[in-house]
Amino acid sequence: MLATALKLACTLFFVLLHSMGFAQVTEYPTSAKTLAFPSVAKTIIENSCGACHTDGNQEGGIRLDDLGQLPVNEKLHLLNQIQEQLLFGLMPPANSTELSNEDKNLITVWLQNQLGKLGADKLAEKLKTPDYGNLIDHRDLFSGQFANLPGFTYDRRWLISEYIFDAKFNRILNHRPHKTIDGKRQYVLGSNGRRINLTNPFLLPTNTGVRYYANTTLNGGHLLTMITNAKEAASQMIYLTGRDKRYLPAIEEIMRLEWGQAALLQSRRAFLETFIEKISIDLYGDKNADFLPTFQPVNIQPPKNTEGTEIKKSPFHAAQPGQQELALIYKTMQRNKTAGGTDKQLIERCEIEWFNHGHNQRTIEARLTFLAGYLDEFRAQILNHRYDQKHKLPIYKPRTDDEMVIVNEAILKNRKRGDRYNDVIEKCLRQWQLEYSTLLNNAGPPETSKLQDLVEQLFLKISERTPTSEENEKYVSLTQTYISSMGNIKAIEKLIQTLILRSEFVYRDEFGSGPTDPSGRRMLSPRDASYAIAYALTDSSPDKTLSEAAASGNLKTRDDYKREVLRLLDNRDQYYVIDEAVERLQLTASVTNTPIRKLRFFRDFFGYPKMLAIFKDNKRFGSHYDNAKGRLVGEADRLVDHIIECDTNVIEKLLTTEDFYVFHSGDNDAMQASSERIKKIYDYFKDLDWQNFEVTDLVAHKDFLSEVKMRGVDAERIATQGRRNSIREFKTAMTSFSARFDKGQTGAAPFVSFPAHGLYNASTRTGLQLRSPEVARFFNIALDNWNYPGVQPAFVSNRKGMLTHPAWLIAHAQNTETDPVKRGKWVREKLLAGTVPDVPITVDAVIPENHHKTLRDRLVAVTETEACWKCHERMNPLGYAFEVYDDFGRYRRQESLEHPDNLIQKSPDKGGVYMDLRDIYKTLPVDSRGYLSGTDDQKLDGPLEDAIDLADRLGQSQRVRQSIIRYAFRYYLGRNEKLSDSSTLINAEKAYLDNDGSFDAVIVSLLTSDSFIYRKPLEGISDDD
Amino acid sequence: MTTRRNFLKTSALGTGAIAMPSSLFAHSFSKGQPKRFIFIRKSNGIRPNEVTPLTFSDQEKSLDKQGQPFEADLENHELPVWLQPLTAHKKDMTILQGLSCKMSENGHWSYSSVMGAFKSGRNSLSGIKRATIDFELANLFPSPFGHVELSLTGNYNTFRTGIVAGYSAPAPHQRNYCYADPQTAYDELFKSVTNPGAVESDNAMLKFLENEESYKAKALNGYEKLKLSNHIRSIEAIQKRNQKVSLKSDTIADRLPTLSEVHAKGGPNANTPEKQEAMTDILIAALVTGLTNVVTYTIDELSTPIKGLPGNEGDRISIHELGHNGGYSGVAADKIREKIRVGHMNQVAKIVDQLKATPEGDGSMFDNTMIMYFPENGEGHHSHGTQAPVITLAGQNCNLEIGGRYLRLPYHGTAGHKTIGNWYTTLLNAHGNPIKHYGDLDLEMSRKKLDQQGAIKQLLRT
Repeated sequence: MLATALKLACTLFFVLLHSMGFAQVTEYPTSAKTLAFPSVAKTIIENSCGACHTDGNQEGGIRLDDLGQLPVNEKLHLLNQIQEQLLFGLMPPANSTELSNEDKNLITVWLQNQLGKLGADKLAEKLKTPDYGNLIDHRDLFSGQFANLPGFTYDRRWLISEYIFDAKFNRILNHRPHKTIDGKRQYVLGSNGRRINLTNPFLLPTNTGVRYYANTTLNGGHLLTMITNAKEAASQMIYLTGRDKRYLPAIEEIMRLEWGQAALLQSRRAFLETFIEKISIDLYGDKNADFLPTFQPVNIQPPKNTEGTEIKKSPFHAAQPGQQELALIYKTMQRNKTAGGTDKQLIERCEIEWFNHGHNQRTIEARLTFLAGYLDEFRAQILNHRYDQKHKLPIYKPRTDDEMVIVNEAILKNRKRGDRYNDVIEKCLRQWQLEYSTLLNNAGPPETSKLQDLVEQLFLKISERTPTSEENEKYVSLTQTYISSMGNIKAIEKLIQTLILRSEFVYRDEFGSGPTDPSGRRMLSPRDASYAIAYALTDSSPDKTLSEAAASGNLKTRDDYKREVLRLLDNRDQYYVIDEAVERLQLTASVTNTPIRKLRFFRDFFGYPKMLAIFKDNKRFGSHYDNAKGRLVGEADRLVDHIIECDTNVIEKLLTTEDFYVFHSGDNDAMQASSERIKKIYDYFKDLDWQNFEVTDLVAHKDFLSEVKMRGVDAERIATQGRRNSIREFKTAMTSFSARFDKGQTGAAPFVSFPAHGLYNASTRTGLQLRSPEVARFFNIALDNWNYPGVQPAFVSNRKGMLTHPAWLIAHAQNTETDPVKRGKWVREKLLAGTVPDVPITVDAVIPENHHKTLRDRLVAVTETEACWKCHERMNPLGYAFEVYDDFGRYRRQESLEHPDNLIQKSPDKGGVYMDLRDIYKTLPVDSRGYLSGTDDQKLDGPLEDAIDLADRLGQSQRVRQSIIRYAFRYYLGRNEKLSDSSTLINAEKAYLDNDGSFDAVIVSLLTSDSFIYRKPLEGISDDD
Repeated sequence: MTTRRNFLKTSALGTGAIAMPSSLFAHSFSKGQPKRFIFIRKSNGIRPNEVTPLTFSDQEKSLDKQGQPFEADLENHELPVWLQPLTAHKKDMTILQGLSCKMSENGHWSYSSVMGAFKSGRNSLSGIKRATIDFELANLFPSPFGHVELSLTGNYNTFRTGIVAGYSAPAPHQRNYCYADPQTAYDELFKSVTNPGAVESDNAMLKFLENEESYKAKALNGYEKLKLSNHIRSIEAIQKRNQKVSLKSDTIADRLPTLSEVHAKGGPNANTPEKQEAMTDILIAALVTGLTNVVTYTIDELSTPIKGLPGNEGDRISIHELGHNGGYSGVAADKIREKIRVGHMNQVAKIVDQLKATPEGDGSMFDNTMIMYFPENGEGHHSHGTQAPVITLAGQNCNLEIGGRYLRLPYHGTAGHKTIGNWYTTLLNAHGNPIKHYGDLDLEMSRKKLDQQGAIKQLLRT
């Protein structure tokens, strides 16, 4: 019996070995070839593991008795595997007595030392990654036993995130978009619709938890993309300087002569293109026409039907040649119109003008084709769009006398008989261009002082610091090399590209400076500290106050840090776009004035935005899922934002709140007013025979209609037909309003009664139509039976905290089914600071199909076998509790067995927003019983009824609070915690408790902790330290 | 960032790796001549009946109309008029009918969806769920440029020009760059010949950066040193890529296409057929010079201006309006749609002809090339995505059974039905990527519990 159990356990051992990512032997550093294998270690491994792993008894195909003889690479590979198994506590098997604790410790220490020394310790590398953060013992961190260890972080370069990338380029390229928020125009950060196309290569992974860590390095992919980005950005920076020399004055200084000449030529071109005919007549008088070429008309075929059947003619908007062209045609027509002339004569005169001016023949052909087919429509457009006001003919005004002499001389010199006007213009410009190039050549390269200014200004713009004198010298020299081979402007562009491609641009520096304390630590340099604080709370570089504090010596003490962190946390003057993806879905407003990284911590931690990428079936949703998903995530954001803004008992509220936002903009007054307006209309008409109203009946209520402003029912223009059928729209609205009140509802959800542009019910905080009432379905709310609460968040039954929010539930489900394993794993790792090994590569993690059983029953069959349960017992009992919610996050007590064989009733595929379009299938009762373990609290651990029961207990758990604080540490520090961070973590928890559950207090504590403030230099640290 | 799951993934040939850039640094999985892939995307749908051969029997027509699976030999049939420029290549051609694309159907536009088998919704970065199929293939067959994207798109009246945002995706949430006019594509792709000074200046910059970063790296240790070493190695790799391209200068010079003056400065006066012709020349040259093995070409989208079409020379035609049955200058929308498709097929035929005329190994370059012409949004202007006909041409070394086939697969939502995800899985499986299934699953197939994963067996070589 024991042998069988041991055999099973050992088989599992090797399945798990593979799961750790070392199924293939990897190459190790050359230094590792010198591995010494002392006999004591060899003896322990052979004696303790030999029972299952010897020649002839190779569990999992692995033997350890020949370790000494293995090639070095394979030996190191195996030792890494052993080390990992010991750390995870997966070996030796629980029922084995082969390896004593003493021997286990000895082997562990030896492995760490040897593999570390040789640069072959793959485990140490992995332990730096977020998924391995929980491996450090939770009790050790919070027991106080290690609180005396001085906290610190190693000096480091931290690769920028996707958000910092955007913020950097937005700053450099002066991209400062605005939005109207709550009726006020606000400057927002995080809206990245730049004019130029930059590809963001620094994308963060999409895992839940903490996504941005300091151990990522730049790779070839990043750099290759950055090369193209640098070119695009450089060209835009030159453009910006051209528009406003204050942007980069040194460029303007260097380019002044060249750009001055270009501007002059451009103005001459514009002048000539507008007035050349007039100037020519002034110069040549009656003989001007003799110089023009013989007119050659463009032949176009008039529209004719060749099909013999009626052909739909494309409307004006689909055939017109563009607004600029329309304006040009209009002006030409204005110039050439004569009293009493026919259309044909007018068009011919226009054509002659275009011909004489040398317009492209194809363009003329397109204009004539357009005029032949759409002249009447164009004339209507001219009237309706007030072309006479918008496109006035230019009035001739000569340039200065000197300029006119130059222009006239050039025309007289260059014009030949037969030239069209554009030929003359081009010849003149070529002449002037030639003259100016000589002037430019004679001017020589820019003086060194100008280049020094350029380097200095570009360093400030791109790297936000002044270059050292050595750097200035080096970059001036580089610029001179560039200039000699490619000229001024290209050289400046190349210099900009070079600066953007430096590692300094893509890494944030965090280095200590100043005196070293007895523990070998130094404080962050003030400049690096200013960036570390700014990037901890926002995506942007330090604001003016923070930069000045760093520059003036006011960022040197813990109190200095605290002052700045509190200032930034309290700032509500800056608005941010939370998520551009949410914004684009159904125009959802996704904005906040909470410091964005504070909100983003909980977004990332809970991971509910991941639901946006999950593709789900409208039919199974019973309505339009894609419409509603953006709103659902937006409202989850709003709930988190609301709780952290209140900043009391934040963790407990997030886990146990029963109040949610459902189809709500966040503006209580506006939502309440919109809801009340519908009630007012309903109450006014409900007892009247509105179903049989005629126009005269509506007119009788004109005053009321003017007051409430129903969409499509303009009291002054009651119409009965076409798109403005007031009676129809009135009845549609009243039918919809009645459905919202005829079951005794007290408040109406303020959604639109029929699809239409424009605002007539509630709007978003950014002033757009509030769409997607379908979001209510996720909460089991029927749109025709909802006592809509205008003031939110408001109570929703059968919900408790973020883990019962549909967005979280969908994000942690499959496309068509729930996922108790994923949900349970999340709770174990994120809230209970527990660990779960990865799915072994050899396991095909598929739940068998059986449409007569619930998902839980099917899952039990494949995960509760002895070999699987060792890992699954850490997840399933937690995940089962969530089975009271389906994969759309809807509360349920019966599970629908969705399979064609179980179909009871087919529902329509299309229908109104009230209708539930789900097909009806047979069902089985849901079993949501589970088990909570790992809180270290006997009052909380134990059997569970369901997710609501679970949420209630998690909200009371100290372990859960500490676990979230550990994740906050990782988020703000960008690394996993170590024992030397114990004091930091204990203080953060204390700050939370001492301040009524304030998460701001946690942030302040973390960002003023030793772990954040103090740095140790890298000298003497091995690659895997 | 390396996550625990990534550790697992990196040991296998997965689809999660960074695509575009890493293709430069990837190992080739091919032996001998690389395989080449040309994806040609068109807008406004392809109606299933538009690709039906003219000489089908009544029974075949009936099966086809009902969406019942069957196969026919193209050699025995006359192609529809617009496909007739390919008549000479029927034996190298498959008309693949019955694929669905509901998981990528966004309405008028597909953006990145059609090549990634996901629904991107609007054209948002976060909607890009995975590296698109072209980038996955480019990873398998690395080349100096890795992947080239061309497009002829615009704002109904004017064409886009320069380097613009593309539709292919090198990785999730990333958008590719794309050459939007022939002159830009020409200048950028053949720079080593047409503008060696620009290449030299790029190299000078990289050398400077390499020296500077190496100097900084000397002062660092441990993991932080690794970060700078990676930066330096990346600079070196790009320099090597540039060197490789420079070594091809003679070949490029030999095969450099002649670009008409009309395309200068973005070609404001070039008409649509001229732009298509020039893009085709560039596409062919990019392949035959070995600069890339994968090209994605958006030959049009709904907002591409159609100008200079034979018979409608003076009209500014809106493809969108054609979708609403609007005619121009007395010519019906259907006729214009067909003329547009004929123009496309002339380009496809030119690609095939020229690749067949280019020797490679014991045969021609076409032997190692696949060309796929397909709608970005299914079967029509306002598509349902239940059908997305694909015209495929491939040479004799193709890893798939493409040759003289009209293959109609079971209709959407029925047993045996295949989606574009299956089609892309087929391409990947046949060329060394063993992925179980590429792309999102079809939700109706899922709801009906119908098997829908994996390659299309009918196309795999036995």
